[in-house]
Amino acid sequence: MSDEVVLEELRAGLAAGGRLDDEQLRVLASTTDLFLLGTLADDVRRARHSEATTFVRVAKVPVQRPAWREIKGQAREIRVTGVPESPEEAEAAVRVVAGAGVPVTGFALHDLLAVSGGDTAALERSLTGLRAAGLSAVSELVVERTPNPEPAVSAVVAAGLAVARVTIHEACGDARLGCVRAVAGWSLPARAVWAFAPLPRADAAAEPGAELPTGYDDVRQVALARLLVDNIDSIQVDWALHGAKLAQVALMFGADDIDALPAVDTGKLGPRRTPLEEVRRNIRAASFVPVERDGCFEDVTR
Amino acid sequence: MTENPRGVDAVARKVSGGGRLNRAEALTLYEQASTHLLGRLAGEARACRHPSGIVTYIIDRNVNYTNVCVARCNFCAFYRPVGSDEGYVVGFDELFRKIDETIAVGGEQLLLQGGHNPDLPLEWYEDLFRAVKARYPSFRLHALSPPEIIHLSHLSQLDVPLIIRRLMDAGLDSIPGGGAEILVDRVRRELNCYSKASTDEWLSVMRDAHRAGLRTTVTMMYGTVEHLDERIEHLMRVRELQDETGGFTAFIAWSFQPSNTKRGGTEATGVEYLRTLALARLVLDNVENLQASWVTQGGKVGQLSLSYGANDMGSVMIEENVVRAAGATFCMDELEIVRNIENAGFIPKRRNMHYDVLGDPIVRQRDVPRMTTLAEARAAGDHSVPKELVQYRARTPAGKRARAPR
Repeated sequence: MSDEVVLEELRAGLAAGGRLDDEQLRVLASTTDLFLLGTLADDVRRARHSEATTFVRVAKVPVQRPAWREIKGQAREIRVTGVPESPEEAEAAVRVVAGAGVPVTGFALHDLLAVSGGDTAALERSLTGLRAAGLSAVSELVVERTPNPEPAVSAVVAAGLAVARVTIHEACGDARLGCVRAVAGWSLPARAVWAFAPLPRADAAAEPGAELPTGYDDVRQVALARLLVDNIDSIQVDWALHGAKLAQVALMFGADDIDALPAVDTGKLGPRRTPLEEVRRNIRAASFVPVERDGCFEDVTR
Repeated sequence: MTENPRGVDAVARKVSGGGRLNRAEALTLYEQASTHLLGRLAGEARACRHPSGIVTYIIDRNVNYTNVCVARCNFCAFYRPVGSDEGYVVGFDELFRKIDETIAVGGEQLLLQGGHNPDLPLEWYEDLFRAVKARYPSFRLHALSPPEIIHLSHLSQLDVPLIIRRLMDAGLDSIPGGGAEILVDRVRRELNCYSKASTDEWLSVMRDAHRAGLRTTVTMMYGTVEHLDERIEHLMRVRELQDETGGFTAFIAWSFQPSNTKRGGTEATGVEYLRTLALARLVLDNVENLQASWVTQGGKVGQLSLSYGANDMGSVMIEENVVRAAGATFCMDELEIVRNIENAGFIPKRRNMHYDVLGDPIVRQRDVPRMTTLAEARAAGDHSVPKELVQYRARTPAGKRARAPR
């Protein structure tokens, strides 16, 4: 069967709302035909988001020393980072930075579950307290560290919050796709999780000489995430972690959101090389339309 | 031939059928085709020319023998003016050590390029090449881009064909295609590189080299001040000369690296690189090989280049100084290059400068130390002057002072 026939069959099936069967997934997961994969993922992405590509400028604030002085520049999201020692400490940190009209996100869901004693009901109480303190969303749900995601996400929703993004920490090889399949299988309330970042975050911190995923591996992972995961609206890449070039190329393979632009611009490289200008230029050069969003995935240009 | 712009589909059909693109059609493709379509067309053209699925690479070392330069191109972060404390010339013994290191990891060639140093006469180059060949008879010298040859022609008041002949007699094996930038004089004037070589002069050196029996590469540095049609004009000029001589072995495109340069500005994006590469594969239907520029694009986009028309992963460089000076610090050793080629579904093979396949990866044959950073020409703070330089007449006061007996 020719590539064109395979492509047309897959396209028609996906356009009709079908899902990839195991055999199709097996073929796509090992294909080096990036255009087949890219075209399929791009179709799905455009059906959801048209040409819009969102991005967000983030100010990261450590939970142990939250302070306004950390939040410089034009942050559209304040992200409280680190592991809180208690729900109270988490709440206190959020209170310090909330209330300025910039959405506050924070914490990994498994850390909040841990400081809540591993109990879902206690987690919901903690989350309710965090919401009252000014939290808009839990920053991330790490696939490998959240063994029972569905009840945890339900607790988030019950507290009136959402999960900003699902991330993969360090899965490699076949386990990367395993994480994507796991996420695709989750039963999630509508708008409970806003984005899925399918490229493992630990890759960016690997030692020189480490056997990292290749460019093919990464765009295949992004494309398969878009094709498989229909319970999360956005596929996200991290500008700071993965770099401008890979983040931009990922847009052609199904990604529609760029996370973690720095909120602070030193201006050292001149006005045309600010992160804001650079991300806009990269999005346009990939034939998409840049849209700045805030930490709640709301368009801030409206 | 009339150059009527046609729709993308019609142009795509033409190129898929083996038709030759004209300027208007090339521009239509670049401006209107999706990146996936461009990549697919370039991939087909590449597969047609290289049906074996082999992707080549070379183990060599980029040695920049001097950073002293009078050309003053405004896109260059590497050069130092005559008399600068940071200026250097690599000595013969230093070069031999670099060659030893290169041979130790399986390399058999140096890519030797440098600034237009007025204090290095033609005889210095001839003696250097002869010394290398005497010591390492089978070692290849891929050396001196067209502007360097023009510079030597000006210095020595000898014509270019004679310079090429003398360098060949001394041991020159092939010429790298550096200094092409964009082969359009308007662009060259804006980049302040017209005086080092106009478009016609650059092409003329290559024509002379091909006539003398040398094979050369050809490059394109895009992303400065050129318009899209000027990028295409560059490709057309290359294609015309290749039709005439057939002397180009490979085409190598890379994006301007703005850091630390007088010109400054921004770097073209990764997608623009892939589109430009794909277009080059489609326009340059008479150039066998296209290199992936992982050194400017990084390993990931470098690997993706193999789906956008490239059939060669370039060089395990060991050393690089020019692009690094402008902010690009990517490094891939042979193991990493081989892994990337295989991961993309291709077969890795070592090659020489003529793109003859030499064999399987060295790392499959013996242990080779990992290399996670590229070496530099000179350690920071090393201002030593090679002892043999005193034998050569310096033209500038600064050069004379540096060579005066102490």
